[in-house]
Amino acid sequence: MYSKFSDRNEHLEKKRQRYNWRITRRGFLLGVGVVSAGAVLTLRYGIPSGRLGIAKIFEKGSGPPVAMPESPLSWFEITPENDVYFFVPKVEMGQGIHTSLAQIVAEELEIDWEQLKVVSIGTSENFPNSLTLTSASNSVSSLYTPLRNAAATVREMLREAAAKQLSVPLTSVVVNKGSITALNDSSPNLSYGEIVKNTLNWVEPAIKPRLKKSSFFNFIGKPIKRIDLLEKINGTAVYGYDARLPGMLFGAVARPEILGAVLIGAHSGNAKKMPGVVSVVIKDRFAGIIAKSRSQAYSALRELELQWSSEKELDSNDLEDMVTVGKGEGQIIEHSGRPISKLSRGNVYQAEYRTPPALHGQLEPQAALVTVKKNKVEIWVSTQNAGGVRSAVAKALNFDSNSIKVNATYVGGGFGLKSDTRVAVEAAILSQSVGKPVHLGWNRKEEMMNGRCRPPTHHVLRGRLGLDGQIIAMEHQQASGDVLLKQFPVFLHSVFGVDLIGAARRAQIHYLVKNKQTTAWWVHDLPLQTWSWPGLGLLANVFAIESFIDELARKAKRDPLQFRLEHLGSDSRSIRLQKVLNAVAVKSGWGKSLPKGHALGIACCIDVNTVVAEVAEVSVNKLNNEIVVHRVTVAIDPGFVVNPAGAKAQIEFGVILGLSSTLIEELNIKDGRVDAENFDKYPLLDMSKTPKIDVVFLESGEEPFGIGEPPIGPIAAAVNNAVSTITGQRLRKLPLRIV
Amino acid sequence: MKLQVNGKVYEVGDEKGRVLLWVLRDELGLTGTKFGCGMGICGSCTVHVDGKATRSCIAPLAVIKGRSVVTIEGLSKSNNTGSNDLHPVQQAFLDKQVPQCGWCMSGQMMTAAAFLKGNINPAEEEIIDAMSRNYCRCGCYNRIKDGVSHAAKLIHKQT
Repeated sequence: MYSKFSDRNEHLEKKRQRYNWRITRRGFLLGVGVVSAGAVLTLRYGIPSGRLGIAKIFEKGSGPPVAMPESPLSWFEITPENDVYFFVPKVEMGQGIHTSLAQIVAEELEIDWEQLKVVSIGTSENFPNSLTLTSASNSVSSLYTPLRNAAATVREMLREAAAKQLSVPLTSVVVNKGSITALNDSSPNLSYGEIVKNTLNWVEPAIKPRLKKSSFFNFIGKPIKRIDLLEKINGTAVYGYDARLPGMLFGAVARPEILGAVLIGAHSGNAKKMPGVVSVVIKDRFAGIIAKSRSQAYSALRELELQWSSEKELDSNDLEDMVTVGKGEGQIIEHSGRPISKLSRGNVYQAEYRTPPALHGQLEPQAALVTVKKNKVEIWVSTQNAGGVRSAVAKALNFDSNSIKVNATYVGGGFGLKSDTRVAVEAAILSQSVGKPVHLGWNRKEEMMNGRCRPPTHHVLRGRLGLDGQIIAMEHQQASGDVLLKQFPVFLHSVFGVDLIGAARRAQIHYLVKNKQTTAWWVHDLPLQTWSWPGLGLLANVFAIESFIDELARKAKRDPLQFRLEHLGSDSRSIRLQKVLNAVAVKSGWGKSLPKGHALGIACCIDVNTVVAEVAEVSVNKLNNEIVVHRVTVAIDPGFVVNPAGAKAQIEFGVILGLSSTLIEELNIKDGRVDAENFDKYPLLDMSKTPKIDVVFLESGEEPFGIGEPPIGPIAAAVNNAVSTITGQRLRKLPLRIV
Repeated sequence: MKLQVNGKVYEVGDEKGRVLLWVLRDELGLTGTKFGCGMGICGSCTVHVDGKATRSCIAPLAVIKGRSVVTIEGLSKSNNTGSNDLHPVQQAFLDKQVPQCGWCMSGQMMTAAAFLKGNINPAEEEIIDAMSRNYCRCGCYNRIKDGVSHAAKLIHKQT
């Protein structure tokens, strides 16, 4: 799907002419360098790294600024056969964005759905590196308006060209389903392909193109079926693990058992004599095998003589101790009124919450196919971060990054993990040493013992109620292992102080409380390789805050829903939050009778400008104390929904992922090792524990916010709050276990 | 040894310890069958061996000898040249828009197809029981359940 466009960059590197279609092997390509009215930002690629891009996005909570290509025309290619190619720098990893983004451009291009072909472009001269980062639920929200502008610009250029071809004034040409007609004229329709074929000079629109009114939308807002599903159903979809080249070899890389250990000595031992072995690669802190088959590579790996540095052999308890409020670097990230003095007297309630480290558990382990030639590197990889892969491989091989092409395949579950670039770097080192294509695919043990994980967290909450049952003051102190900050340049560590946009995501108290304070502690010396996980700190922070709010509501003898509504302000986000709370209450039957032994729990959050409230219907199996979640109701206002069918699937993902963490998942550390090599010791939620999920959409505007991650936030607290109603006992640690 | 996959006979080496999954993927190029755990837990690698759902990541080649293997590439009649010839389970998964990332889906569909061969009128609990040993990290479980139930209806229509 992607490889046939690998020659595209070469064309674009050639001289850049204004307003020219240039002939390519496949047809006509709109010249780059046209700066039209639609161009939004002109940040050059390479300069703002992907990670800085993340910083900007998270700071704002949603959407722009994200660097866009210089030319809006970089997104498209229209062939004489009337096919419209749409080049997407974001990867499809199940979120359905290739479909949603296609809807957006089809709308403004005024084409037939069948005309559009979506191509995952990977790295490209036409797109800034930061656009190749697929993260933070921002693919649709950050590209919605820029893509509409880009597509509308191209549509207007086609109209102008058509007007010339038909010798009619521009005002009398209209577009419809990929062709252009002159009003009151008997001349035939011109398809976009025909216009492209017959046009040499292109005119830049003098004015900013007009965008369609939402009442005329044919694609946006419609539950259009996913464009990638047929391939995924007949087995032809290609993921990084499936990438193939003639003559390719297979790699395996040595990894430590003990967390934090590094390779300090290596000898090939008997590995070279093992069947199928082509080469043993030993370099600084790196030992790997290249063999004719994957199993031969792994067999030979066991024959290497390796020496690892000795590290402290920690247990889970040691990690908990390290991640404790007051330890590490702390910083106040939210403050109003006089919280500390108000919390120094009266009846102050205090509670401590914890969440454990957890894995991404994506079912496709990390994988890359790399071919290193003399002056050129080509990579096929399951990645959320094609630009980052290019930079990391360039650095590791000492290559110019312009000589590296990264093809972004389908991703078999990303979940933040696949912004990691290691697998591609390792495969590149192996390929360089033999001069042949090498495929490296991690196995499950490597994923579990040497992968990345969500950091453990600790939360101390304090609150004081007035005689009227309202919160006078509230404080959230949060400690967490690093999520994002360590990936930033060192000078930014002191700029941010704590992992504000990663671990502290939504650590702030989203309720109207006159005196409140949130403090975050950044614990950056854990032996675990902590990393992005869906929603970053969202699940942990919302679990703690929304469970504690429920505790306060019960102390105040108030209904948990009413208590929340009473503590929401009159700003627009708070009003939207009230609406989703009310909507979820109605849909879930809040306050109505339930089957015996069942209870409802409620929780809500704001994330990436989206507001979401969830109610969980729960019972407890009296024989084994198992928590059973029967039904989850979600009310969500993501601003505006581009594809309701896709959005519902994303919400189901968030609920199930969060529920798996709520009920089951916990990464244990024992004697310095991850105490799990496979799913037998680290199980995931399965169908037998899956609740019914109802979703109510509220749309408060015309701009979409993120939808993939926000629903992960409230689920743990919603379940916990229901459990508390049933048992009278308050659980304060994930996964929830009744003892 | 001779290995029969999707009606075709291949000659493959039968060195000790080889498992079916990697022969399918890395030798025969049938990458529709996915690797997830290597321990037969997650179900991503499920194929049919003599019609029975089998975890190919723990199936030694020696055991497969003389048997007939069907993978996702062979599940539909026409080797997936078009949407018209999809197996009812595939058609149902498309109709119900079941997959998200898609990595586990070959295994889900192979498990479902074998299950429905033995039970064309499954109750919801039977579907849950049959499908609960296949992981889906994208949380498509309710859709998978709907897909299997819809596939049963499509099979009824065919017969």
